[in-house]
Amino acid sequence: MTRFKISRRTFVEGGLGLTVANFLPGTTPFASAATMEESTIAAAKASGAAADVSGMIWSPYLVPMQPVIADFKKATGIGVGAVQDISIFDAPQRAMAEALSHSPQFDFIHIDSNMIPSLASAGYLEPLDEYMKKANFKIEAVGDYGTFMTYDGHTYGVPTDGNVHIQYVRKDLIEDPDNKKRFADKFGKELKFPETWEEEKRIQEFLMDPSKDLYGSGNLRNRANGPTWWYMIFYSAGGFPFDDDMRPTLNTPAGQYAVDIYLQDKKVNHPEAANWGTPQQIPRIAQGHVVACQYWDGTAKLNENPEKSKTTGKWLYGLVPGSDFSGKRIHRSISSPLAAILINKYSPRKAQAAYLALWLGSGKNSIPIVTDPVNTFNDAWAKEHMTSDAVKKAYSPAGVKAIETNFQVVAPPIYLTGYLEFQDALGKNLSEAFVGQLPAKDVLKKTEDEWTAIIRRIGQSKLKKDLASYKALMPKRATPA
Amino acid sequence: MAVVAFSAAETPATPRATSRRHAIRRFKFSLLAPLIALFAFVLVPVLLLQLYFSFHQWTVYLGSWWDADYVGLDTFKDVLTDPRFGRAILRSLAFATGSTVGCFVFGFALAYLMYRPFRGQAFYYIIFILPMLTVPVVVAYTAEMMLYQSGPINDLISRLSGIEFKAAWLSNPDLALTTVSLLEIWNWTPFTFIIMLAGLAAIPKEPIEAAEILGASKWRIFWEVQLPLLRPVILLALVLRFLEAMAEFPKTWALFQGGPGSATETLPVYIFITTWQYFDISKGAAMSYIVMLLMIVIVLGAIQLLRREKRSLDKMYAQLEDPKEA
Repeated sequence: MTRFKISRRTFVEGGLGLTVANFLPGTTPFASAATMEESTIAAAKASGAAADVSGMIWSPYLVPMQPVIADFKKATGIGVGAVQDISIFDAPQRAMAEALSHSPQFDFIHIDSNMIPSLASAGYLEPLDEYMKKANFKIEAVGDYGTFMTYDGHTYGVPTDGNVHIQYVRKDLIEDPDNKKRFADKFGKELKFPETWEEEKRIQEFLMDPSKDLYGSGNLRNRANGPTWWYMIFYSAGGFPFDDDMRPTLNTPAGQYAVDIYLQDKKVNHPEAANWGTPQQIPRIAQGHVVACQYWDGTAKLNENPEKSKTTGKWLYGLVPGSDFSGKRIHRSISSPLAAILINKYSPRKAQAAYLALWLGSGKNSIPIVTDPVNTFNDAWAKEHMTSDAVKKAYSPAGVKAIETNFQVVAPPIYLTGYLEFQDALGKNLSEAFVGQLPAKDVLKKTEDEWTAIIRRIGQSKLKKDLASYKALMPKRATPA
Repeated sequence: MAVVAFSAAETPATPRATSRRHAIRRFKFSLLAPLIALFAFVLVPVLLLQLYFSFHQWTVYLGSWWDADYVGLDTFKDVLTDPRFGRAILRSLAFATGSTVGCFVFGFALAYLMYRPFRGQAFYYIIFILPMLTVPVVVAYTAEMMLYQSGPINDLISRLSGIEFKAAWLSNPDLALTTVSLLEIWNWTPFTFIIMLAGLAAIPKEPIEAAEILGASKWRIFWEVQLPLLRPVILLALVLRFLEAMAEFPKTWALFQGGPGSATETLPVYIFITTWQYFDISKGAAMSYIVMLLMIVIVLGAIQLLRREKRSLDKMYAQLEDPKEA
């Protein structure tokens, strides 16, 4: 065995050399200017063997990621192998089955981030904090959106899809001089971009023309998606669904106001809207059958693609309507399902999967993902997206501005363990009211009763702990800056 | 039979006969073994695990299943007092009854048209069984495109009737279950068609020929000869179809997910939602057990009926063979 002796002089000279080297360009890993992407590659390489990771992801989300994954594979040897192609709407059930069986089958899952509390509570998720630290990685999202990946003090996901709701209004209809005059004559007000829910309803009702298959609204009112819209109204009226003791607080004036606004959509939406989801409404928006609505931001990308849309250049994009119900104007947008990559704690390749997720979640790397003109599922979310020319080209500058504005007041749906159960109970009751099976006044009482049973089953103390994470995700400002 | 039994008892078994008997027994066992193994190693453990869950309250977020608290019959009580479960049973019964009757009427009618050979019969046979070969989810998504208010089905009905027909098949809660029933009838009429065709083909010709010689009309032959002889087959077709319809899930879920409102929340849908949306595994297991018991009661009742029908048929055939027994 050889013994090395290091003199004091050698030590000082060596230290000086390293210090100088740190300031020379191109001397990574010592250079402090290493980008987040370079650090991720370095950390991935240091994490262990190259491998192809397996995952559960819906193909429209995966396809635009593939070139970015190929770059990572080239740099680190880590790629994506077997993939289970499951719709993001069916993924939660499958993911929970994986969690309950402690299955190592998937290294990562791509899923609605609102499932984080349920999956983390079931012990399925690997916290990403250590990996992020090693890769010097930060989720550089617009506003406080990065917090949507956190639960109980840990980060569990990397977003790939902002999915924030923005307001869509038909520019050609709202700026038409004849419409403006008629509107002013009828209401004594200017026909302009709606700022409140009441203004939006008035415009929708005024401009709709069913004889031309033009309906006022394109909002979703089906059982699965309806609550997403209801939360926006409820939050903007100053409501929050639970008190500090985890008792439901839906049956309040704010809640009833939200139900009333929600149900008024029946007058201005298509007669079949009660069972319509995105496959029906998105084409109707892009083909010009809708006056105004709130919708996921990716639809702007579709609208502005002349090969797929009849309404290119005919839209105004902006902040979703707000409410004065609480005494001050509050705007609340929503992001759900917020698609994110989560890592399986039981996976033997969790480190590789985690670094791949970080790679896909850097602002720079995700630009081609969120601008894919054909597979438009991944929507812009990072700060870097907001200044990117490619993103502006895909969504239009007004679309990007609207995304940025709405992100400042974006809220989650129920961000608690048992999310799907809370969501379905509310969705069922709202849907029953929308189709006339349940009186509007009974929706919130019935939902509260059902939620109380859910809370009892999952555990009030457990959910009280979750409540802190939920509240941390709520926007801090009433209106965007 | 008694004579044979007596002679067998009197004749000492030769080694060859004993060996043959053992070989037959081994052969029978080898045929049954895979089924017994499947039952013992797959079905029984699943049923036992489900029984365990239904007697224990397992909150999936709070611990492993083996740590679940024993709650006795509480979960069953919870299920049986759940009005949503009661409504789901009623919806499923209504759906299964409606679609079974529909499948039977159309299947029998087609079988009656097809059971006598004619030119091109094979072609029609293939056409008639095609719906059964179509995957239910594909049936649902294809139907969705055709059943919009302004879709081709309403358009076709309007043109044929001369009246503007605007049924909201997919969004009217009073019509939604009927929509799935109609799709079920389209999808599974071939099943009843095949069974009834086999039943009609198996009817002996002699009684029909005798009735024809006696001058009976076609209607009378059908009503008084063919239909009574077909009763066990009809019963079998109805029972099998009813049980299948009670378990229908893919079309209902693909089209409605329980909505609009809760109009299509049938038993399979509610069990799925409870187990895989609410992750209330214990309640889902208890519901499954209750439904299983309900099905067992239906099957036992059907078996009793089938036995009775078989006995009366045996009696009828005996009378045909030996009129003195009448």
